[in-house]
Amino acid sequence: MRWILLLCLGLSLPALADLDYALKPRLIADDTWLLEGSTDSFAKANGGNIVNTAFIVTEAGVVVIDTGPSRRYGEAMREAIARVTPKPVIQVLITHHHPDHALGNQAFKDVPIGALAETTRLLHEQGDGMAENLYRMVGDWMRGTEVVLPTQVLEPGVLSVGGHDLRLLALTGHTGADLAIFDQSTGVLFAGDMVFYQRALTTPNSPGLAVWLADLGTLQALPWTLIVPGHGPVASDAQPFTQMRDYLTWLDQLLRDGAAKGNDMAEMIRSPIPERFAAISLSRYELIRSVSHLYPRYEREQMQPLLRN
Amino acid sequence: MNWRLSCILACWLPLAAHAVEVDPVPSVMWDFYHKQFLAQAPFVFDDRVKLLAPPFAEDARQVPLEIDARAFNGHVVKILAWAELNPLPKIVDFQPKAGVLPWLSLRIRIEQATPLRAAVLTDDGLWHVGSTLIDAAGGGCTAPSVVRTQPGWEEHIGEVLGGRYPRGEFSRVRVQVAHPMDNGMVSGIPEFFINHAQLRDQDGQVLADLELFPAVSENPNLAFDIDAPGPTRLVLRDNSGNEFDAAIP
Repeated sequence: MRWILLLCLGLSLPALADLDYALKPRLIADDTWLLEGSTDSFAKANGGNIVNTAFIVTEAGVVVIDTGPSRRYGEAMREAIARVTPKPVIQVLITHHHPDHALGNQAFKDVPIGALAETTRLLHEQGDGMAENLYRMVGDWMRGTEVVLPTQVLEPGVLSVGGHDLRLLALTGHTGADLAIFDQSTGVLFAGDMVFYQRALTTPNSPGLAVWLADLGTLQALPWTLIVPGHGPVASDAQPFTQMRDYLTWLDQLLRDGAAKGNDMAEMIRSPIPERFAAISLSRYELIRSVSHLYPRYEREQMQPLLRN
Repeated sequence: MNWRLSCILACWLPLAAHAVEVDPVPSVMWDFYHKQFLAQAPFVFDDRVKLLAPPFAEDARQVPLEIDARAFNGHVVKILAWAELNPLPKIVDFQPKAGVLPWLSLRIRIEQATPLRAAVLTDDGLWHVGSTLIDAAGGGCTAPSVVRTQPGWEEHIGEVLGGRYPRGEFSRVRVQVAHPMDNGMVSGIPEFFINHAQLRDQDGQVLADLELFPAVSENPNLAFDIDAPGPTRLVLRDNSGNEFDAAIP
């Protein structure tokens, strides 16, 4: 009996030890650290670490931007911060309610967690369902993860913390409540999921692609020097904006043309994807999802009430 | 094997390349449904019956499904579709007549990852079975109705949106019908769904007959390809006896 237990232990310990996010903060600007995730989809191999999170070490303490996909990630992030600075975490900012950005909140329960009011409402409404779906997709990495709602309502304007003036922008293109953070002291723009780069954008809660395009104009007009997208590599040029615009415009036109021809969803998801988007990770997968989210609105625009005779 | 069946099989030999011996999807239910829905009639798994669905259900309550049996145009008696692992597996029984192509698209609910099937009965008595597999987080059949959360939904029941979209040789006809399509699996709400649809031409001639089942999504979307000329009418009936009538230009 004892040797069976030992055997089980021997088999399970390496498996548990594998569930390590191995987060390595990278300095991308003064006081500003990035934890860059992969551009893949949620999978057991990545534990849901498909997202960019960041933190700013200010004079007054550490400001955290997004907490990642799981309790385990949040805790690993906290340890990673402690390896960089002895300063305490004093503020968390959540860019939007999607699970990969807000399910690490459990590790920051002792800190004010700020978000737009609508973000908190959406997380309250959809958080449990999204967490459940992540358990299905990434498995044991999620163990013990529960939704923790933000504790502080953020308003657009400037939030000054320890010598960093953070301009908070309330946008809506990606989820209906999207916080972008522009650090006026360093020129870093934390775009959240308003900007995806080299990774196809996601649309489950988007109020519409035209809204998103307009919001991108607002962001691009800021005097930024470095863009931190929600997913994909950081950039110091306007490439992420160019790619976003190109993709959104293409997707909008594709759905519009399809609806005008009377295509059904099953046909739309097979649409050819232009060669220039070939390098963008997950474009087919996200097209399938976007058709499901957005196409019903486009097709209704191309239908008339059919009168009864 | 009787001589008639042998004859039929002999006639089909040149086409045997399309018929697959083994089930193309992993299924524990095929034998059961073969007995239940096809009465153990002769069949082939046939990749010329195209059953097109996304590889995964982004919204398990509205999964797009396209059934394409145009390879058998002129010989289709009926098309039967079902989702094997649904609590209510049947989707549609579609009988296209002259003037309508054996092609149909609609949206369905699925409760979990499942094989989907479309069995096409041709006029020689053989069933051609098209198959595909879909992954899902699930819950599409037991999720509360979205329609019922909209105030005043009762007044809109049976309203039809749609249009005709010319495509050269034929035209695409699409309709979206306001109806909750209650499947009886949501607590306290009995079955209430559109169970019959008929497409007619301007002279009242039947172009297609459809029996619909509660695996069809709420606010059903249906699309047909019609090569009959002139305006069409869609007559719908639900299991409470309401009849709806839409004129398609």
